[in-house]
Amino acid sequence: MILRFTALLLAVATLACAEHTSNWAVLVSTSRFWFNYRHLANVLSLYRTVKRLGIPDSQIILMLPDDMACNPRNAFPGTVYNNADRALDLYGDNIEVDYRGYEVTVENFIRLMTDRVGEDMPRSKRLLTDDRSNILVYMTGHGGNEFLKFQDAEEISAFDLADAFAQMWEKKRYHEMLFMIDTCQANTMYSKFYSPNIIATGSSEIDQSSYSHHADNDVGVAVIDRYTYYNLDFLETQVREPTSKKTLGDLFDSYDESKIHSHPGFRYDLFRDGEQAAKQRLVMDFFGNVQNVELESSNGGNETQWKEDLEHLQRIIDAARARHEGGREQPYLHNVDNDEAVASNPLLEQERAAKIDMENGWRRQAIGASALLGCIGLWLVGFYVDSGK
Amino acid sequence: MFPILFLAVCLILRIQAVYAIADYHERLLLRPLPHNSLLASFNFRSNASSVSFDEQNFRYFPRSLGQILQHAHARELHLRFSLGRWDSENWGARPWNGAREGGTGVEIWAWVEAETAAEANARWLTLTNALSGLFCASLNFIDSTKTIRPEKTFLPEGTHINQSMRNLHLLHGTLPHEVVCTENLTPFLKLLPCKGKAGISSLLDGHKLFDASWQTMAIDVRPVCLSEGCLLEMEQTVDMVLDIDRSKRPHDNPIPRPVPIEQITCDTSKSYSSHDSCYPLRKNVEPSWSLAEVFGRPLKGACPLESGEASSTVCLDVPSERSVHVQTDGSHHESKLNDNTSRCYKLPVGSNLDLVLPEQELAAQPSLAEPPLYASRSIVGHGQERGGVQATIINPTNDTANLVYLESLPWFMKPYLHTLRATVLTPGVLDMTQHAIKETHYRPALNRHRGTHLELLLSIPPASTLTLSYDFDKAILRYTEYPPDANRGFDVAPAVIRLESQSSGQTFLRTTSLLLPLPTPDFSMPYNVIILTSTVMALGFGSIFNILVRRFVGADEVDGRSKLAMKVLAIKHKARLLFGLLMLKIRGKGRKAE
Repeated sequence: MILRFTALLLAVATLACAEHTSNWAVLVSTSRFWFNYRHLANVLSLYRTVKRLGIPDSQIILMLPDDMACNPRNAFPGTVYNNADRALDLYGDNIEVDYRGYEVTVENFIRLMTDRVGEDMPRSKRLLTDDRSNILVYMTGHGGNEFLKFQDAEEISAFDLADAFAQMWEKKRYHEMLFMIDTCQANTMYSKFYSPNIIATGSSEIDQSSYSHHADNDVGVAVIDRYTYYNLDFLETQVREPTSKKTLGDLFDSYDESKIHSHPGFRYDLFRDGEQAAKQRLVMDFFGNVQNVELESSNGGNETQWKEDLEHLQRIIDAARARHEGGREQPYLHNVDNDEAVASNPLLEQERAAKIDMENGWRRQAIGASALLGCIGLWLVGFYVDSGK
Repeated sequence: MFPILFLAVCLILRIQAVYAIADYHERLLLRPLPHNSLLASFNFRSNASSVSFDEQNFRYFPRSLGQILQHAHARELHLRFSLGRWDSENWGARPWNGAREGGTGVEIWAWVEAETAAEANARWLTLTNALSGLFCASLNFIDSTKTIRPEKTFLPEGTHINQSMRNLHLLHGTLPHEVVCTENLTPFLKLLPCKGKAGISSLLDGHKLFDASWQTMAIDVRPVCLSEGCLLEMEQTVDMVLDIDRSKRPHDNPIPRPVPIEQITCDTSKSYSSHDSCYPLRKNVEPSWSLAEVFGRPLKGACPLESGEASSTVCLDVPSERSVHVQTDGSHHESKLNDNTSRCYKLPVGSNLDLVLPEQELAAQPSLAEPPLYASRSIVGHGQERGGVQATIINPTNDTANLVYLESLPWFMKPYLHTLRATVLTPGVLDMTQHAIKETHYRPALNRHRGTHLELLLSIPPASTLTLSYDFDKAILRYTEYPPDANRGFDVAPAVIRLESQSSGQTFLRTTSLLLPLPTPDFSMPYNVIILTSTVMALGFGSIFNILVRRFVGADEVDGRSKLAMKVLAIKHKARLLFGLLMLKIRGKGRKAE
């Protein structure tokens, strides 16, 4: 009986080891300008979906290179729609955009993925993942064979992307990754990946365009791309709650090439356990927020471990308290005392704007002119003396 | 024993908190403006005592902002998000005398405590980066090229002791091109104790706020010292001018459609007015509106965290003859202030309140306060190389206006200070000798390191116009320095004007931002060069390669030909020999090269 129980516990433990403990989403649109409205709508649709399925704003990195909601051309201020029926306002009342406008660059994207950022970078703009995090990376924009344009000014190549992901794997920054891309010739973008545990899917093959789904006449431009539209269609109708058991295989099988008008591609060979295991991964493993609790030891655990932890925690609290008590001498705010006079800080002067005195300026010009005249006079005297010989 | 003591301490603290320091107030002022406009001015004020702030005990003061201020050693902070232009010709004086508004885009200034200027710069960068994460704005782009240290324009609002004033550094930065949208309002609302769920903040909707003719969101944090002790005061302000007709359009169908002809009153005095042509009659009536209509959502009762006597949370500046219907299920209280031109309402707790104003013809239009100054600024000149800036400031009052004029120009706009001219034009006075510029503070630009900082102390005689002008050169940027939308032009931050007035309080005025077109290269040029070079190389290399690898066959090696053909082949043979020699030469050269 006991044996069976431990066996069960062990089984649970090994299962837990294979699971992830946090979910992150990196949603990137790479197109600027109003006529690329649909790319922002694509990415915002995905943002709404992952938020609906439970990933909090703090674990979603949203990159929007242009402002569509408050664009002067937008007849619907503060809204972005992904359907001509305008049933769902993607911008809504509660949105947090982490990188926007000129911040959406190839450099910032790669720095975000590999976490090579400056020390002042706020936490909301960082991908704080570890080796137990599942990451959904969704990209959309204009691309070509093995490149994706950023803001019509620069490109990220399939090699850059593959190297960034490889570095992430080396740095233990992900557990499993789902890479989705909706752009022309999208399948070429993941062809160079070489790091493990990535499932990749794209909207179209090499030499194939990725098409928009439909336009809204009042918005005036196309509002969503086909591949994203049918992905959303599946997610909205089939994955309705976080307990959904739909698998990625179900999602990929739902793609209908006659509707998408291009050939979506899949890549499973990097996945640890092969194609079947990849297809068995739940949609919620990437689009939802599943918090698996992990037990460190299977049989009862170390009795004294938690006591040590508690003591360690107490030490931290004591240290903080001591630090706070020590810091009392210099409180943030002071009481008024007017005893000391203000003296100018000499170190500050060099950073400041100089006061320009116009009269002083005339005097200086007079000095300059007289100095110049003096020099000319000296030269003339020298010339005279020289010629006299 | 211990719990009782703890309880007692808690009680004492609570009493202190209520009566001495921490509190929260909110207030909404609504004032109809001419041409169917409505000014809505939201103000939220919360406090934290310095002791609780140091201990990181936050009650009304938002923890997220408080920790950033502590980390960056910022003693006073002012942050502005603005869109649009205040039409002072039609709308009169600015709300809060302009002290709670910013230039187009994002503007930030703060007093940072630091020992040295370098340390202040480092802390300023920390502050802007942290705030960029909190407010979803690209504030991290405020680097040394966009930062200045104003001398005279900004005065601290809070009480700083002289001791600490020595180490306080004022830094100022602007992002005139930054868009302001819902993602900036979301964190703004999250800082409020009621988070937009109750109280007047429940009216703030991004769809209406960012559709306004003019809007500005402000955050001001300052230390205030009273006799009881010091506290940190935070004020959040949202001012907007809504177009009533525009705001009343339904959310799902905001595109204006023609009104059915039956609903239009025609102006029959027009000669062409007939049964099929109609000139709409301009109605001289106040439009009908209600809170739920113009803000798109109902006012969800009072914020329960509001402290003290909240008898006047919503105030309406309308003449006493204007009828106002209050619709609510709860109990409200109305009080009249200021000689009956203003009425205030106490909000019910837990039930919605709506103010409905029907269409009404008023005997006299309420007079608007006249602004103390008018200012405008524009770019003059032509061409890609240089240009000029001309600012016009009008003093309509009967007193001399003393003001500070601040310009923070980007480094690629290089002004010439010797071309700075200030001319004063007073109607009926021909005196060109007046010196309008009293003092000049100037810090020239350094390419790619810092922008120009120009601060002028000006004096404008009564009822006069001051024209300020200077010339500048446009720099040529490097290929990689151009933004993706370089052909749009580059934004130049608005000029800030502070009027020095005898009365307490500061009066500010900002011009609109400028769009500076810079010489822009053809960005497809490198690709053209690459394509052309490739073509030339392909042609040259292809023909040489062809000669090198083709095998020439002798005429005699081919049989069954006529005499004529043999002769032709003989000529060809000679040519082949020549070619063979050439080939050998080239090969010999190739070997040498190897």
